[in-house]
Amino acid sequence: MIELIGGWLAAVMIVWIYSFVYKDNVLYRLAEHLFVGTAAGYSIALSLDSLNRTAFGQMAKGMEYWHLIIPIILGLTFFFKYSKKYYWIARYGVGINVAVGAALALRAAPMANIIRQINATILPLWVEGDPLKTFNNWLMILITLGGLTYFIFTFFPKTEGKAGPVNIVYKALVTIGIYGMMVGFGYLFANTIMTRVGFLIGIILQYLQPRFDATVVAMILAIIAIAFAVMKKK
Amino acid sequence: MAKEEKRKPFGMAHVLYTLLIISVALPLLYPVGLPIGISSTTKDVYNYIENTLPAGSAVLVDLYYEMAARAELEPQAAAVVKHLFEKNCKLVFVSTVTYGPIVFELLKSTASDVFAGKEYGRDYVFLGYVAGNEPAVRSLAESIRGTVAADNYGNSITDYNKLPMMRNIDKAEDFKLVFIVSSGTDTFGWYVRQWYTAHNIPLLFGALSVIGPSIKPYVDAKQAIGMLTGQRSAAEYEVLVGRKGLGLAAMDAQSFAHALILIFIIIGNVVFFATRAKPKPKEVGKK
Repeated sequence: MIELIGGWLAAVMIVWIYSFVYKDNVLYRLAEHLFVGTAAGYSIALSLDSLNRTAFGQMAKGMEYWHLIIPIILGLTFFFKYSKKYYWIARYGVGINVAVGAALALRAAPMANIIRQINATILPLWVEGDPLKTFNNWLMILITLGGLTYFIFTFFPKTEGKAGPVNIVYKALVTIGIYGMMVGFGYLFANTIMTRVGFLIGIILQYLQPRFDATVVAMILAIIAIAFAVMKKK
Repeated sequence: MAKEEKRKPFGMAHVLYTLLIISVALPLLYPVGLPIGISSTTKDVYNYIENTLPAGSAVLVDLYYEMAARAELEPQAAAVVKHLFEKNCKLVFVSTVTYGPIVFELLKSTASDVFAGKEYGRDYVFLGYVAGNEPAVRSLAESIRGTVAADNYGNSITDYNKLPMMRNIDKAEDFKLVFIVSSGTDTFGWYVRQWYTAHNIPLLFGALSVIGPSIKPYVDAKQAIGMLTGQRSAAEYEVLVGRKGLGLAAMDAQSFAHALILIFIIIGNVVFFATRAKPKPKEVGKK
């Protein structure tokens, strides 16, 4: 029974949310508000459950975990944001939270995000018996250099007068960088389309097709709501 | 407001939306069965799990996606989990996003064939939602027992009668692979920094198509053993593990929708260049 109700609710809400594609209407707003409210309530409940399992549950094990009281107190200081007099106390919690996050990330970031990425672009410019690999390596190196050159904002070779070798190399690299980025953006755009179409397919296969009856009922109601919205406007 | 009032009840945008929905819905109702080739990226992931990953290894699976992303990520997760279960791997599921418990239950119900014959606590465990983002990921690498007291269902992590597989699994070094299924970009960076760089644990990425370009540098730099992106990779992996899932079912619709969008792009470009080539009419009344 619960699965049936869940299936109906999912199908109906999806159709009503998608009805916005044609026109804003009362059923779209109902679905939108229900979603926001449910998601907020669910997130609060889940966060409390997580706090219970990661903090209070641990502390119940014994004194060795009582140091967890410190992050709990720091977390509670966030609520001082609602006080005009004591809002400054919240800054300690926020500050330590940001500092811990930054410190953890920075500990490994130079190796993970800089050195390994630079290493990955140091490639052989000639691969014996594999012209495609050679071509790819050249592309990778030139586009990386071109992209980096394009984003140099502090130094430009002089462009006035006769172009010297530095100017020519600079311009060539910038052009390669621009075309490389354009190809990258195209790749990104194509993948975006694939994802959005994938979402649409998933919605049809996972929610609408299994509850076709609910879909039809929701569509009829959405058409009525849109008609009302149009009439109201006139 | 005035612009909206002038809008036609059924304009060009509505035509495009309708055509797109038809191009997606028709192949789902009447599948054509277009052939699917296996990309080298997917083949590499399959080969790693099949040939390199020792049988019976512990694998951490982070389910970091919401309902909307289910269509792309759930088929990937189901196909890879099936493969891992076939190798008798012990799976520790966790989620660093609040929707995790829902998507885990949905994964179990829609991929019931994958979980069939596998016992909770002995073959897999779900730690539930763990708040804290990157610090939480770091904490899990240091010690699972020190991070969470109980699993998603309230069983104590140290209750080895209920969760016997957790007896030998606690820190990053106990795992042979981490499979991150995420609809975000940051999640992959957290694991690269806190699990791969700090502990040298191999990573496998399962991402949305749109995220693929952002995480590919990690794979190219050998910071991950491979990645699966979108329904396409899911369909390929389903072929490899022999599971007819949503990935395969979606491929015809994907192909038709992409063909339609390509036609739109070509028409758009032709119209753009045709109108640009025309001389502009002289503006009247302008001095």
